Amino acid sequence: MTDFASLLATLAKHEVAYIVIGGAAAIAHGSARLTLDLDIVYDRSAANLDRLVAALAGYEPYLRGAPPGLPFRWDRETLARGLNFTLVTSLGDIDLLGEMAGGGTYGELLPDTIELHIFDIRCRCLSLRQLIRAKRAAGRPKDLEVLAELEAIEEENS
Amino acid sequence: MDSRRSDADPVVEAYKKDIDRTLIRENLKLTVDQRFQKAMALARFAEELRRAGREARSRKP
Repeated sequence: MTDFASLLATLAKHEVAYIVIGGAAAIAHGSARLTLDLDIVYDRSAANLDRLVAALAGYEPYLRGAPPGLPFRWDRETLARGLNFTLVTSLGDIDLLGEMAGGGTYGELLPDTIELHIFDIRCRCLSLRQLIRAKRAAGRPKDLEVLAELEAIEEENS
Repeated sequence: MDSRRSDADPVVEAYKKDIDRTLIRENLKLTVDQRFQKAMALARFAEELRRAGREARSRKP
């Protein structure tokens, strides 16, 4: 099971710049759906890649679903060469996105975030409005049910 | 409440009819912390169900 509290704590401890998106953001906004991983959009600056590497280094990050024994190195170069990483760690599953489908990069999304105060940690979370906008723009069939719930939450909030 | 939006997608609207709004309303009464605690408790329960299912299948003659 993903330990959301510990994952957020290590990201906060290392001052990683990121935005909570996906199912965890939906839960923050009131979703009743079960999510099994933490999805974040991270800042791609070199300094932040270093912070992200340091934050997860102690938790055995490895490519989720990849056969064991692949030469996967958890370092800044690996992060810089790729964009999106779906990882398993000893704290649970975490998806690191350099760019969100239907959304954008960290810098583009930042103005559409809210501050979450959770588990005594402060972090940025995508706003409900932007979460809906991104799901719509992504246009993936798997998101239709999620989108329906997010819009229902928005209606309940209004 | 009228759930129709000016930019409504008919497919999403169709899904929306099956959304249990009572669950959403209960969640909206909780703090963000409580929402995550609830989600993690649900995940623990799901994991326990999977474990019990695996155990039951392995016992099956």
